Amino acid sequence: MTDDAADVRRVLSGDVDAYAALVDRYYEQCARYAVRMLGNRDDAEDALQATFLRAYRALGKYQERDKFSAWLYRILVNQCRSLAARRSQRERVFVREEALLLNATDERASPGWSGEDEEFVQRVLSELDPLLREAFLLKYIEELSYEEMSALTGVGVSALKMRVKRASDRLRERWERIKHD
Amino acid sequence: MSGHGIRRGIATLVTLAVIAPTLSAQGNDPLAKLDSASRRVVQALIDSAKTEGLPDQPLVSKAQEGVSKHAAGPLIARVVRTVFLSLREARAVLGERANRDELTAGAAALQAGIPATAIIDLRQAGHGKSITVPLVVMADLVSRGVPRDTASRAILQLWMQGAGEADLMGLSQSVGQDILSGAAPADALLSRARKVPIRLPPAKVPE
Amino acid sequence: MTESDLAPRDPDIEWIAREAKRPVALSTGLRARIMDAVRATPLPARPRRGLGWLVSPRPLALSPLGTSLLAAGLVGIGVLVGLAVTHDGESPAAPVPTVASATTHQDAPSVLVHEFVLQAPNAAHVSLVGDFNGWNAAATPMTRTDDGKWIVKVPLPAGRHVYAFEVDGAGGTKFMPDPDGLRAPDDGFGPSSVVLVGQGSST
Repeated sequence: MTDDAADVRRVLSGDVDAYAALVDRYYEQCARYAVRMLGNRDDAEDALQATFLRAYRALGKYQERDKFSAWLYRILVNQCRSLAARRSQRERVFVREEALLLNATDERASPGWSGEDEEFVQRVLSELDPLLREAFLLKYIEELSYEEMSALTGVGVSALKMRVKRASDRLRERWERIKHD
Repeated sequence: MSGHGIRRGIATLVTLAVIAPTLSAQGNDPLAKLDSASRRVVQALIDSAKTEGLPDQPLVSKAQEGVSKHAAGPLIARVVRTVFLSLREARAVLGERANRDELTAGAAALQAGIPATAIIDLRQAGHGKSITVPLVVMADLVSRGVPRDTASRAILQLWMQGAGEADLMGLSQSVGQDILSGAAPADALLSRARKVPIRLPPAKVPE
Repeated sequence: MTESDLAPRDPDIEWIAREAKRPVALSTGLRARIMDAVRATPLPARPRRGLGWLVSPRPLALSPLGTSLLAAGLVGIGVLVGLAVTHDGESPAAPVPTVASATTHQDAPSVLVHEFVLQAPNAAHVSLVGDFNGWNAAATPMTRTDDGKWIVKVPLPAGRHVYAFEVDGAGGTKFMPDPDGLRAPDDGFGPSSVVLVGQGSST
């Protein structure tokens, strides 16, 4: 049995602390997705909290033959979508300070790293249409297969491939323009 | 009873364990038992801490705690990273002149969910004294189930009114006992807090 | 055209993806707040299906490499599952370290002797572990008194120290915080205690 399934069983038999183990296992991946998708810390925190609460309440519906990560991500992706919809009016700008706050230590980080690159990437990601951004993140950050993405989002594989391609084209365009500025 | 007393005295001397860190270090690497990937992450965090002027010893200790408790490498790396980020946040909140105990206590308080604003208020409450004790007491109360806002407000108020460090630590103790005896955590804190003596002269008590 | 490659082939896109894969840090108190909210929620309802859900599917677990990569935040969920291997049984416990760390003192703090006490009449053995001895159970064994108390006196620099007791009893070895001590928040390794050596004087 996977650790996930074992922990789910424990929670369902009354051991709430076992849920902390589940949260710990997926917290950072989910946090990263939420930040890249929503573009700012506050919204990402709200989305994370809502996701883990919702997942907790729905644990009885999780079926062990499914991958827990996929099941959890379905909730996360939906939470990010509804949060973005609620907050679409105010477009938050991702600033350098956010990048510095957000960047945790990465052993590959060079001494001269100042957050500019990550800030730039977050900016261009935030400029993408949300559906394109979502597809791009799931493919290249979460590294899911198109089949997994389709099961997660409910969108067909060919539509997803199209979105990923469009997202890549737009990002490349932005990058070319920046390079020549 | 003198014979018994002497035996106790000798036993006490014998159990005086000498912890000389430089002696027992023997040049061994405290991170040696970690798997290489986790070890790289932890080492990078320690290096970053040193670069940023944050205490790195708490990170080493945290890794050792994890190893000793047979935690998996990746979990250890995650926990050490959380401690690092908490220390960074604690420094941002407490300022450059925070001493090391304030930083570690502040980091623990933040991790327990005490809001940064409460810590800033504590710092600004004055007296110029180290706020390590109220920070530790806040974290203790929250760990026992007192709601975060209740704990931070009560301790802040007591601190502003000049409650002594011993009084605050005694407060934690008695609240802990009350909770074990079945009292609701918030109630236990509020009723014990009322009994903490105020040591500032009346003129200095803020409105 | 296969989409089996996980990495984008375009170097610009690859660079963007690499930057976007960097781990992020949200408020450190968020995890605590999430668990608080979870604890305030009623337990989730168990499924009402028949016994089907009790049957375990094919066992899968993340390989050690997989879990390391997850911790380092370097890969996505999809890759992790690809790295999953079948195994039965738990991964072996890491061996206990044998030395304390070298502490770096900024100034020379005063050293005081502090006595640690644990009431554990049924324990076969108790050790004190903490940040002053590298959490090494072999470093500071405690001595049992006639009335079932375990004690040890330790010279410690004044200030904040985190510690716990390692107790060998009938049920095996376990770590426990000091029932009479201040609590340190549990950050993933279970509860520990805090002592402020040299503090405790009133204003």
